[in-house]
Amino acid sequence: MTRFAMVMDTRRCIGCDSCTTACKVWNDLPLDLEFNPVVTDGPNGVYPHLHMVHLPLICMHCAESPCVHVCPTGASKCDDDGIVWVDEAKCIGCGACMAACPYDARHKDSASGVVMKCDFCKDRVRKRQEPHCVWTCHQRARIFGDLDDPTSDVARLVASVRTEQLFAEMGTDPQVFYIIGTGGQG
Amino acid sequence: MSGRAGEKHVWTWPIAGYLFLGGLGAGMTLVAAVADLVFGLGSVMAASVAGSLVALGLGSFLLVFELGRPLAFWRVFSAQKAVLTFGAWMVSVLIVVDALYFSFLSGWFPWSGASGAQGAVAVIGSLLGCGVLVYTGVELASMRARVFWNTPALPVLFVFSGLLTGAGGDFLLVLVWTGSGIGTTGWAALGGLALAMMLFAAVTLFTVLLYVLMMLTSAGTEANTVARRWLVGRYALYFWVGVIGVGLLVPLVLLGVGISAQQASGGVLPMAVASALVMVQGVFLRFLVVYSDDRKMLAGELRRRERRPSGTELFLRAHKG
Repeated sequence: MTRFAMVMDTRRCIGCDSCTTACKVWNDLPLDLEFNPVVTDGPNGVYPHLHMVHLPLICMHCAESPCVHVCPTGASKCDDDGIVWVDEAKCIGCGACMAACPYDARHKDSASGVVMKCDFCKDRVRKRQEPHCVWTCHQRARIFGDLDDPTSDVARLVASVRTEQLFAEMGTDPQVFYIIGTGGQG
Repeated sequence: MSGRAGEKHVWTWPIAGYLFLGGLGAGMTLVAAVADLVFGLGSVMAASVAGSLVALGLGSFLLVFELGRPLAFWRVFSAQKAVLTFGAWMVSVLIVVDALYFSFLSGWFPWSGASGAQGAVAVIGSLLGCGVLVYTGVELASMRARVFWNTPALPVLFVFSGLLTGAGGDFLLVLVWTGSGIGTTGWAALGGLALAMMLFAAVTLFTVLLYVLMMLTSAGTEANTVARRWLVGRYALYFWVGVIGVGLLVPLVLLGVGISAQQASGGVLPMAVASALVMVQGVFLRFLVVYSDDRKMLAGELRRRERRPSGTELFLRAHKG
């Protein structure tokens, strides 16, 4: 069975925001809305021992998605391949999913009134293409694939390298895994 | 309750109003049903039940108003397991039960006074009232991402606050319903409601202080931040003056004065003022809670959020136009 996941290699991320911009353009997002911002922690430490980490954020496509459980219309869906998405035809813009999401990954579009979010570019992915942010990342800091396929890059990385899930203590089982390191080292 | 730069709340005033009116309406029905079933005071409670209907209806309107697509509101009834769906169903059914209950209590209809059926409706109304009271808290408490909401203590707080506003609303509407001829039953109801308000005000005061102290001493930094905001920060004025002072302490004093005076001769006025003031507590508490939707954040996330452009709508309209 397919289970899509993403690995963020923060050792390689240089915080250039190419993924953020590519996503905004691909999805034609309003100026004040972004599906995958890159947040920067640092610089921390004391010279010359300074370090800085760039964390590319995105919808975590949680296996235990709180946003799906709270949706009163069934518009928030989690497909069998793990992609969490919003059926705009059913969404009434109540904001319950936005309140439930620990990652601020959902945003209400002021024009249409419905909630928007990253869907791993499911239309591309199901045509065996990469999500647009992954395709754009020139540092190869974003790795996408099927976690249930042991030959895929994501499965190999998750199995071999120490990865972390953001706010794993909330029990959402996010399907985005982070290799934590300092920026631009990969 | 204006926000800092980059601060964006999931829900705003319509949801705070919905939660207040939901608690008020459910509390009014529950208190009226108990007064009817346990103390046989139903004959003066008709306006209270009608008031509950109006509060719930207005609250539902506010919920619809907050939706991104208000005309598709009916979809809220379609999911099977969502808390919001349960709540929407309970509020809707309670509105219908309130209308039915009013028809029994008012004496305006041929079936008014059918005690068996009236009792059954009162029991259903009280059960639904309990459900809606709890739901208004559970709706927020179920959001595990929101540190200040995600605790079982929130529904408890909302239940007592809702009961307090419900008893206050009932008190005022008993006065309206009975007019100048309050009568023995009316006085018994007013006295009982005043005592109930004192009890609920004391418990709400204890619960809300405990709640904020619990958040202040909890392990989470974000919860501490919100609690400090309530106690000494931007929300302190609303909390100490609106909720604690005007909404709870002053009504407690007025109720004490009114109950003592009533035993001597009159004393309705201070109790009526207290009944109105407890609404201030209900409104401010819901607003403060709804606007305390802080989320655990990653290092650097706030800085990033504050850098997001805002006020772009005018530019975009001009650009697209």
